[in-house]
Amino acid sequence: MSTSRSWLRLAQALIVLGAVLTLIVAPAWALVGALLEGGPGGLAAALGSAAWTAIGGTLWTSAVAAVLAVGSGLAAAWLTERSSAPGRRWLRLGMLLPLALPAIVSAVGWADAYGPGGLLEALTGRGLPGLFSAAGMVAVMSATILPVPYALIAAGLATRGEPDLERAARASGAGPWTVFRTVTLPLLRPTLAVSTVLAFVLGVNAFDVPVVLGLPSGFATMTTGIYSDLVLSADPRAFERVLLLAGLLALLAGGVAFTADTFASGLPIGRTGSPPGAPYQRRRTSVPSMAAALLGWAWIGLASAGPLAALLLTALSRAVGVSPLPSHWTLRHFSAALGGSTVPALLHTLGLSLAAACLALLLGGLLVALPRGRLARLSGSLATVGLALPGSALAVAVLLAYGGSLRDSVAIILVAYLAKFWTLGHRPLAAAADRLPADLLRAARASGAGAVATVRTIVAPLLFPAVVAAWALVFLFSMHELTMSSLLYGPGNETLAVRVLDLQQLGDPTVTAALALILASLSAVALVPIGLIVGRGRPRRVDR
Amino acid sequence: LVAALIAAACGTSPAAAPLGSPVSGGGGTSQPTSTARASDLAASGFRGGPTTITLYTSVTQETVDAVVAGFAALTPGVTVRTFRAPTGQLAARIAADERSGGIDADLIWLSDPISMQPLEQEGRLLAWTPVAWAGLQDAYRTSAAFGTRILDMVIVAHQGLALMPSDWADLIDPAYADGVAFPDPAFAGSSLGVLGYFAATSGYGLDFYRRLKAAGAVQVQSPGDVVTGVAQGRYAVGITLAEAARTAISAGSPVVTVWPASGAIAVISPIAVVAASRQRAAAQAFVDYVLSAAGQRQIGRTGWQPIRPGSGGPLPGGPQVQPDWSRLYGQQAQLLQEYRAIFGG
Repeated sequence: MSTSRSWLRLAQALIVLGAVLTLIVAPAWALVGALLEGGPGGLAAALGSAAWTAIGGTLWTSAVAAVLAVGSGLAAAWLTERSSAPGRRWLRLGMLLPLALPAIVSAVGWADAYGPGGLLEALTGRGLPGLFSAAGMVAVMSATILPVPYALIAAGLATRGEPDLERAARASGAGPWTVFRTVTLPLLRPTLAVSTVLAFVLGVNAFDVPVVLGLPSGFATMTTGIYSDLVLSADPRAFERVLLLAGLLALLAGGVAFTADTFASGLPIGRTGSPPGAPYQRRRTSVPSMAAALLGWAWIGLASAGPLAALLLTALSRAVGVSPLPSHWTLRHFSAALGGSTVPALLHTLGLSLAAACLALLLGGLLVALPRGRLARLSGSLATVGLALPGSALAVAVLLAYGGSLRDSVAIILVAYLAKFWTLGHRPLAAAADRLPADLLRAARASGAGAVATVRTIVAPLLFPAVVAAWALVFLFSMHELTMSSLLYGPGNETLAVRVLDLQQLGDPTVTAALALILASLSAVALVPIGLIVGRGRPRRVDR
Repeated sequence: LVAALIAAACGTSPAAAPLGSPVSGGGGTSQPTSTARASDLAASGFRGGPTTITLYTSVTQETVDAVVAGFAALTPGVTVRTFRAPTGQLAARIAADERSGGIDADLIWLSDPISMQPLEQEGRLLAWTPVAWAGLQDAYRTSAAFGTRILDMVIVAHQGLALMPSDWADLIDPAYADGVAFPDPAFAGSSLGVLGYFAATSGYGLDFYRRLKAAGAVQVQSPGDVVTGVAQGRYAVGITLAEAARTAISAGSPVVTVWPASGAIAVISPIAVVAASRQRAAAQAFVDYVLSAAGQRQIGRTGWQPIRPGSGGPLPGGPQVQPDWSRLYGQQAQLLQEYRAIFGG
């Protein structure tokens, strides 16, 4: 190994280590420090019986929602990447569509579409029963989480799948189910592990769906408990409870991530074959795949079209509660939504999201490229902790750690975004990259290719779908982020969150719905590339 | 305005007031103003070089902008930087500030007294008496925090109900079974005030909530959600902010406001000067402006009920009652726990 190469390795490890320290360890340390200020007695008192109920509620709802989301994400990914269903490209976009809406808006969209007095009830006389209950809450949570495991698994099928093996199995007489069970699924195991971790963490972190659908039936989760304590956090005891519950949440998610990472690292890896050809797909559309496609479209109708239609009607109607007839429609709310400080705020948010997406991807890439080992694994698990921390607590932690020097600057928001979304930039890459054929890399290096040329000609084409998925996930989550930026912004760098929360506080849902739809159409633009590229079952051949 | 804020963002000017003298009852720095009229105030209340003060607030943007613009027009030497966020985020920012070198604001202007009380109790706020307070009700102030607007919690009902409620007690009428919504007291100070009022008022008590629960009433997050749900027909009646109902009615939503016969529950939106402020004189001038007739008119003009009668804005539709905020603060944890035992969440 040449000296320059070992220097590069060292620099890379130092950057990752620095990022872990800056983005995760320092804010977490500040949080622990603030927590210990209250003394150990305060800690015990902070955890009442209500907290345990909330912890239990969070655990089971997130676990069930994660399993549901990953299961249906897998089914949807198989449908769009491996079946012969017609219109798969559009199905792909449809499956990702819920990502275009901020969580608060989709929660309200579900309630307005299917709840009492909602759209479905207006059309058919009855809504979906049990929507405002723990079961309804879990179902909607999994529906809003689903696009993330779906995107990861679809990218996984594109980068990890072994279409040649699948084809060989088919040729040897195995039925589609046997191929799926014995070839596709085992190869996807690391992707599924990563997807489950992310889905669980997103479930633990969910706030809006529990508030809109769970609160009316009195269902408690840790995030709703944290928010109510936050509102009362002028009381030091309430603030300590915020920090404590947030810390528990992070420990919980970190523990799950670490366990899963350790488990996944034990899975067999190492693909030595050449990159795959086109996936096995029947040319003619079969009846079962047609039926599956219909099911897919029905799902998209339920999970996206319904809530979107309800939101559109809210945004168009003169006032909330008037009958949704065209004579009651107005475009006034859209111009109101674009008025005030919306446009500059939107530009700030757009710039922040672009920067966060690029930097998170870069940091994710550096982390993925670390030599496999304990350092890499621990860093990966730690990066997940940021996503698990509720935005309010993470923002407080960042303010405590960096408020002195970065207060009110764009940089402090960016630090918070990177801390929270680093793992979204890292995990999709990790899920795809550990099966990068080592032989190809060695061959390239042996043929005299430098590091840059190897990345450009071998790594980039093979990982392209995962790179796009990771980038888009970070970008979309940053665009929709409401809590951290509204707590950290300073004069002159107001983000969209500041405007959205002001509108929300005014209590008129029509303008908020209009703004959400404008935001959703912008986000949909970012979805198109993932829809087109992520599941592209035909990575560019590198051995041409 | 944004450009001005950027320009002023990091500007600290020579301190106009002595640094952090201890908080004491009354006193504060003396104000030479002898009348509450805004023009006089601007002329004599603050004399200093160019100064920047920072305002932390949860008041809605339009109102803050109007008041700040009005103040700037009268007091050109003072630039006001505002940080606006919902109560939860704002409280968290203040709590983080306190643990890292002190509150980074000269003024705090909130939407409910319960979020202000602990700050005052721990000596973070300056005790003084604004000149402009002359003639206003002392029930609306503490030694450091001064009511600027009144938010009324009232009953909202869907239009054309066969039986309209007339007072709070009617909400447990079987006619509204499974059709009552109210804001979760744990999610906003104004909603907590409702719980505090009922819990301490004879004839209601926490038993009122048990009966509401038995009648199928549900908690939702915010007063705005109550109005939306009632307008959509999801609920028949609810407890909400008069302002939220007013906005919906003026837009044409099928809801009506019912002013409870025994009185709307009045929630004060208080403003206070931070004790450690280095720009105390400028901050006090701002408070005096907000309480003056001119400042109060800005509040009325942007749709809120000013504390000073005759300043425009919506008028109360009947009697008003106040929860005992000072008692409520001591009991809030206990009260919320008892409430959660009934409604969960």
